[in-house]
Amino acid sequence: MVTLTDYLIVGAILFGLSLAGMIINRKNLIIVLMSVELMLLAVNMNFIAFSSFLQDPRGQIFVFFILAVAAAETAIGLAILIILFRHRQSINVTDLDTLKG
Amino acid sequence: MELLKTLSLLVVIAPLVGAAGAGLFCRQVSKQFAHRLTIALMGFSLILSLYVACLVIGQDQSYEGVLYLWGQSGKLTLNVGFLIDNLTACMMVTVTFVSFLVHIYSIGYMAEDGGYQRFFSYISLFTFFMLMLVTANNFLQLFFGWEGVGLASYLLIGFWFNRESANQGSFKAFLVNRVGDFGFVVGIAGVLGYFGSLDYIPVFAAIPGVAEANTLIPGTSWSVISFIGFFLFVGAMAKSAQMPLHVWLPESMEGPTPISALIHAATMVTAGVFMVARLSPLYQYTPSMQSFILIIGATGALFTGLIAIVQNDIKRVVAYSTLSQLGYMMAAAGVSAYAASIFHLMTHAAFKALLFLGAGSVILAMHHDQDLRHMGGLRKQMPITYFTFLIGTLALCAIPPFSGFFSKDAIIEAVHSSQIGGASYAYVCVVLGSFVTAFYSFRALFLAFHGEGRMSHEAKHHVKESPWVVWLPLVLLAIPSVIQGYMMVGPMLFSEPSYLGNSITVLTQNNVLMRMGEEFRGGFHMILESFGNFPLWFAILGAFSAWIAYVKKPELPPLCVKRFKWLYTILIHKYGFDDFNDWFFVRGGQRTAKLMYQGDARIIDDFFVNGAGRLITWCSATARRLQTGYIYHYAFVMLLGLMALLVWLMFR
Amino acid sequence: MNFTPPDFFPAILEMLTLGMTCLVMLVYLFLDQKNRGITYFLTQITLLGTAVVAISLHGSPEVITFDGSFILNSQAILLKIFILLSVSFVLMYSRTYIRENDILHGEFYLLVLFSVLGMEVLVSAYSFLTLYLGLEIFSLPLYALIALKGNKPVCQEAAIKYFIMGAIASGFLLYGISLIYGACQSFNIHEIISMMSLSIHTEPLLLTLGLVFMSAGALFKLGIAPFHMWVPDVYEGSPNAMTLLIATAPKLAGFALLTHILVEALPVLFPQWQYLLIAVALLSMAVGNIIAIVQDNIKRMLAYSSIANMGYMLLGLIAGTPRGYGAALFYMIIYVVMSLGAFGVITMLSRKGFELEKVDDFKGLNTRNPWLAFMMLLILFSMAGVPPSAGFFAKVGVLEALVKVNIVWLPAVALVFAIIGAYYYLRVVKVMYFDEPLEKTPVILESFDTQLAISINGLAVFFLGLFPTTLIELCQQAFLA
Repeated sequence: MVTLTDYLIVGAILFGLSLAGMIINRKNLIIVLMSVELMLLAVNMNFIAFSSFLQDPRGQIFVFFILAVAAAETAIGLAILIILFRHRQSINVTDLDTLKG
Repeated sequence: MELLKTLSLLVVIAPLVGAAGAGLFCRQVSKQFAHRLTIALMGFSLILSLYVACLVIGQDQSYEGVLYLWGQSGKLTLNVGFLIDNLTACMMVTVTFVSFLVHIYSIGYMAEDGGYQRFFSYISLFTFFMLMLVTANNFLQLFFGWEGVGLASYLLIGFWFNRESANQGSFKAFLVNRVGDFGFVVGIAGVLGYFGSLDYIPVFAAIPGVAEANTLIPGTSWSVISFIGFFLFVGAMAKSAQMPLHVWLPESMEGPTPISALIHAATMVTAGVFMVARLSPLYQYTPSMQSFILIIGATGALFTGLIAIVQNDIKRVVAYSTLSQLGYMMAAAGVSAYAASIFHLMTHAAFKALLFLGAGSVILAMHHDQDLRHMGGLRKQMPITYFTFLIGTLALCAIPPFSGFFSKDAIIEAVHSSQIGGASYAYVCVVLGSFVTAFYSFRALFLAFHGEGRMSHEAKHHVKESPWVVWLPLVLLAIPSVIQGYMMVGPMLFSEPSYLGNSITVLTQNNVLMRMGEEFRGGFHMILESFGNFPLWFAILGAFSAWIAYVKKPELPPLCVKRFKWLYTILIHKYGFDDFNDWFFVRGGQRTAKLMYQGDARIIDDFFVNGAGRLITWCSATARRLQTGYIYHYAFVMLLGLMALLVWLMFR
Repeated sequence: MNFTPPDFFPAILEMLTLGMTCLVMLVYLFLDQKNRGITYFLTQITLLGTAVVAISLHGSPEVITFDGSFILNSQAILLKIFILLSVSFVLMYSRTYIRENDILHGEFYLLVLFSVLGMEVLVSAYSFLTLYLGLEIFSLPLYALIALKGNKPVCQEAAIKYFIMGAIASGFLLYGISLIYGACQSFNIHEIISMMSLSIHTEPLLLTLGLVFMSAGALFKLGIAPFHMWVPDVYEGSPNAMTLLIATAPKLAGFALLTHILVEALPVLFPQWQYLLIAVALLSMAVGNIIAIVQDNIKRMLAYSSIANMGYMLLGLIAGTPRGYGAALFYMIIYVVMSLGAFGVITMLSRKGFELEKVDDFKGLNTRNPWLAFMMLLILFSMAGVPPSAGFFAKVGVLEALVKVNIVWLPAVALVFAIIGAYYYLRVVKVMYFDEPLEKTPVILESFDTQLAISINGLAVFFLGLFPTTLIELCQQAFLA
């Protein structure tokens, strides 16, 4: 029997993975964007698990909203990424250090 | 009541509007506009304050209320509010009247000056602060007005800021007033700490209950009321230039003459007298402070007058005479003759402003030469100035039937019939003072207007009567100097209810004026009676001596100076107040400062102050390196922060 | 089965904004190149019109609608009024800047309007769903806005940093929401409150975790340490007009976000979040005030100053009394008015091809434009908390609220930091008034409305210091009902 706790642990692991992806990754901004997506999916996991165990459909409705917003967010993220690439010819995270101090 | 509130608000606000209009746009507006605007608003203010006076004194109305709640802290509320009663109404009329005339006068006096608009802005601003001071219904607003008039006064003393002496005068006024402010703030803090409120009405109501029972420190005889009264009076001493905090007033004469007339004779310096009268419910319950006020005032009345005898600068003579007259006012307040004090304040405002403006007119004719030794014989060239100045002098010397006679005679009589400690000493001082007053006033008059002209031949031809904007205020001020005393002496001092109504509190055992009132049978009778008393004969004697010394036998004064070298030296050094201050505060201060500086530079500056500064800068420079600019570091910091908060909350 | 439509009236402000935004979009499409200035006026009409409606709504009773997920009360209305007005001022200040720097006109105004819509929704949110949606609607346009100025590479860097950090923060927020949802079986604030008051929450772990994650998301939006790392970079990298925008109205929205979560939804957890806020407030005041000292870029300096100021604002929430919340709201409003003025001056002084960024660019401003320098002086004095400026009363308010609940050490520490902070504000004053200008040409402001706006703004700081009572009372009432 898979319990609620198991689902929550999976969600937590996904969340941790996404954070790790952002912190450890030193190469490509695309990977950071993917991690952001993964983070939202971890949250979705939580919502669906709770929704199912609480017998409450509203959690799943929330998930739809998150998915929609995530799509919009990714679109904007990629757009910014593209103009960044146009100007710098690079989307390497280590190159983004003009602003500091 | 609402009408009174609105009227008073307009009276107070109008000068502020004028000041803002002339000051904020001083580069945009023309000279004409600046003076027209400010004078129109001052005139408006004057008319309304006359109306207020009619309502308050004539119809016995009054207003006490809060206009705006400025701040609140616990039980303490800090308000902007008005207390419009008879005392306030008298002060409002005096202030706006003199201010209005000084505005007009300044058109002529300041005509050539570069800072014309700025000047009008300042004097209007000053009037605003002064009105705030007299209309206040709480100590905080009183303090606001108090500091405001101080500010305007420093600005105006230092108005000609490229003159070294003007800057020094301004600085001295600033320093001395800081001493007074210190006392004033301590006094206010005492009021707040002891009564828990800063509004007049609740504080006054609470005073009789606590007057005797409470001592400040258990086991001593210091009552709380005396403590508060003393420190508040220190503030009044600085502002009203009482000995020994009087040293700034003569220096303040470096400012333009209209300022001397408005601020340093008629209004601001009387703020201390006003405050003592306003706080009469407080001072009534502290006999020790009453004696103190009396002695300080009477001493000032005689001894500053003596200094005036040896001064050669026409403005300084008038300045020292102001000090002396302020002494009279304080002495009257000391013997609980507040009505006489305020009465003298009002007559003095008129005739002293007249004397100052007259002196200004002379200075204008002499092309800003203020030395009496260079004048003489101006009577013929400047008849209007001469006659008005003469009227002012007669009023100042308390010659009947001029206004000064009634107020000053009332003060002397009040001091005479008082029984509080120091009254007999004070009586000697004020009676001798009337001789001295007459002597120095007529000395100045004779030196300036009589005898042979001592100016250069060329200058003699240039001397002519001043333009009408200058002499018109003189004439307008001469009228009250003649009639005000006779008309007001009865209703102001002795009738029931008097002009001051219930706005002052006098305990029955202190009420000298009431005892005098029993014998009062009208102004004319007062004149007749005075011929049987010392003061008048002393004054006439003083004037006569001056005539002998400076007109009949001009060789006499140098002889006296030689004969009484020691006295002359004392007087010319002004009893050494300035030298003492110079030696003790300035040089002693410098020496202490040097000593402190060396210790300070090594220990405090290097180690603590700069050390702390360096430490913070070092922290800052180090901490900014944490901001690396890399996204993954930022994300990591966020994660760390989150984790730390989680741990902090879970295992707290 | 019968269908009763929900009460739409409480959302009238949002509907107005949305309708007008669509109108602006359509009008912009059909305008030819030279008439496109009209979008500016339409946008201003939208903002000011909505603000007028909001003012007229003030004082109406509290309404909850849309199945308990949307609320209109005096607090929401007050915040909306100030959001709309501040954005309107932002547009006035940046109008010349936008025109001269060839930033795409219509897009700029449209994105601003959408962002405003998001802020309004967020302010009125009464369930975590509307809260989240409002947050995203107001954040996403801001990311795009920063990247809008095509020719400046740092802009894109700032945009991508803001975007990624913001995405992580909303991830935190969502994760927190999901946990609270699991613990309370609802994300409706009203239901959460009733669940909590039944005191059957057997899941203290879930609640604490949810609280920390949600707070982290909200604190990020306000730029509070340790979630502040984006603030200096984004403030510095953004074009001046965008900095002006993100430094003002979003702070008010962020305040609403934080109070919705902590004060309204989770008051039961007060003992926990009080400790949390004490920690972050101290850190913010320290980090902000200390690092600001060595900055020579004025935008960066003001960014650190904003971090510190947000720390002060939190002190009001830490007090945990309606009085404290009111003081925090007052602090927030005053801060927004001040930073509007400060960044407004920076934006106005920037010309085509010249971005004012260095503190040294302020040298001798007094000789170049005395009025502007004087306004800046008022604002800086207020930021430094010199009495009797508005900033002084704001600080006094929050500190007093703390003293009232017998927390004295925290105000003492805050005062020490405030003294350190005064140094860098006064340094700018010194530079403006006592240093020789780098260039002698006088600064002339072309448009009249900009001059009027900065005068109103500077004098508002001054007069709110002289007459603060009315606004303080409005703020207090917002939390008393």
